[in-house]
Amino acid sequence: MDDTLSGTSLKKSFGKSLLYSLPMILITFMFISGGRPDFSNPSSALAMMITFILVNVLYFLMHYTGKTDKFRAILFIIFALSLSFTLISNMLEMRNSMSFSQADILECKIPFCHLVIPMMILPAAFTKSIIFPGSILGSFAGIASMVVLWLVATLVLGRGFCSWGCFYGGWDDGFSRIRKKPVIKKISDSWKWMPFAVLFMVALTSALSLGPTYCDWICPFKAVTEFEEVTSVASAAKAGVFISLFAGLVVILPFLTRKRTQCSFLCPLGAINTLSNKITPFTVKIDKANCSECFKCVAACPLFALTQEGIRNGKVSVFCSKCGKCIDACSRNAIHYGIKGVPAGTMKKFSRNLFLFISFLFMAVFSSGSIVNTFRGLLDLIF
Amino acid sequence: MKKIKIIAGIAWAFICLILIIVLFPGLNSFSSSLAMLPFMKINPNYTGGEVAQSLVMDNCTIDIRRPVFDGLFGERQKGFVQIDWRGEIPAEIIDTIDFDFDNNKDFAISINSKSSETILLPFNNKIRDVGISTPTSYGWAVRVNLKK
Repeated sequence: MDDTLSGTSLKKSFGKSLLYSLPMILITFMFISGGRPDFSNPSSALAMMITFILVNVLYFLMHYTGKTDKFRAILFIIFALSLSFTLISNMLEMRNSMSFSQADILECKIPFCHLVIPMMILPAAFTKSIIFPGSILGSFAGIASMVVLWLVATLVLGRGFCSWGCFYGGWDDGFSRIRKKPVIKKISDSWKWMPFAVLFMVALTSALSLGPTYCDWICPFKAVTEFEEVTSVASAAKAGVFISLFAGLVVILPFLTRKRTQCSFLCPLGAINTLSNKITPFTVKIDKANCSECFKCVAACPLFALTQEGIRNGKVSVFCSKCGKCIDACSRNAIHYGIKGVPAGTMKKFSRNLFLFISFLFMAVFSSGSIVNTFRGLLDLIF
Repeated sequence: MKKIKIIAGIAWAFICLILIIVLFPGLNSFSSSLAMLPFMKINPNYTGGEVAQSLVMDNCTIDIRRPVFDGLFGERQKGFVQIDWRGEIPAEIIDTIDFDFDNNKDFAISINSKSSETILLPFNNKIRDVGISTPTSYGWAVRVNLKK
């Protein structure tokens, strides 16, 4: 086993990287083109080609350079931007507005997103119904397909969903990368428990009111997706909350702290994904034999998952989203992707290759639809 | 024990690999199966409840839905009844509604479909006020708030 890796040994040769990328190339080609590329619409064909090349170049570079996070982040941020672009352009086409009306609610036309899931569990158990005005089997953001996607992803990736699958996470991930050094360095990591309080509160209030209270009152991403038409003091107050939370937790604080503060301090689904981190086979491990306790990984972690005490004890907390930032920061390769049951410091390459293939495949296929749509929209605008 | 743990961990990781590979090709099938579960239906507080009676008029149909009092553990004290007008909506909708089908009219409603002005005239003390009155893709919908 590869248990004596040096800091650069995750790099592969060009040929080997290409070989490792082949399965991804074939599978993403099938999903992005549908197995039968259609060249009748040039902008669609070009958009598909750009997306296909983009995802595979990023995956290839993960193998070739041995680095994970920066290539993951590129696709993750593009995913977040393209999803908002797709959603907003769909809504402008359908409604001429980013806001939805009472009629859209009555006709259950609101696109469903995974953040609703924590709020629908209790009502589904007690009332045998879903407390969201969407469509169960809709072609765009149907409830059943989003639940299946999230369920499998959280089972397989645990909180890795927050860095490899969540189409909102890219927003604060992106803003957290703008500055090279944080302005605010000291933040109590006890704030990371806050999402559990939010989860408890929204689960309870949603059950009692039979409405998704997080979506109605708190969700910062309403600011970049859709929101209730402002027709009253209450709807104006809601819009104010959405914009303030987006500005504060998704833009300003990530910019000043280099941390993903919305994901760390607010997201109720992140709390559930944290719990599912106990189930997933993949984890991040600390090879204490190689660790010099420089704590660069602790500073790099955007989700407060690493502490100095944890590093000394060789433990990564359940808050880890497996983004790979800590792994890239470690020059001694002492922190690495691992598989539960396999001792730390062993099977580093195997664990990384398997995890990267699974997590990147999920992100590449999940994001490809909205990225293709965005590129097509941009190409149509240009030409 | 150590070897068993390693084998179990790797086996679980490979099961996850298979899960991800079959996830997207099988998504429609998995979603359809999930959609058939008894809890996979939209709550009546959003749908407005099942249509209890349809009255066919000259140019439009009036759907009177069952009153919705649904709460988490049972019925609430306050609820609503939704009335839908489908088809060609006149400039002025004026109808009297018997939503509990006891042969006594419960309220009269007048809607100006140009200005959305909605006037409710209750005939019994179960009727509270107009909750929602809005144009829809199929015509017009009104929710009249009720108490038990």
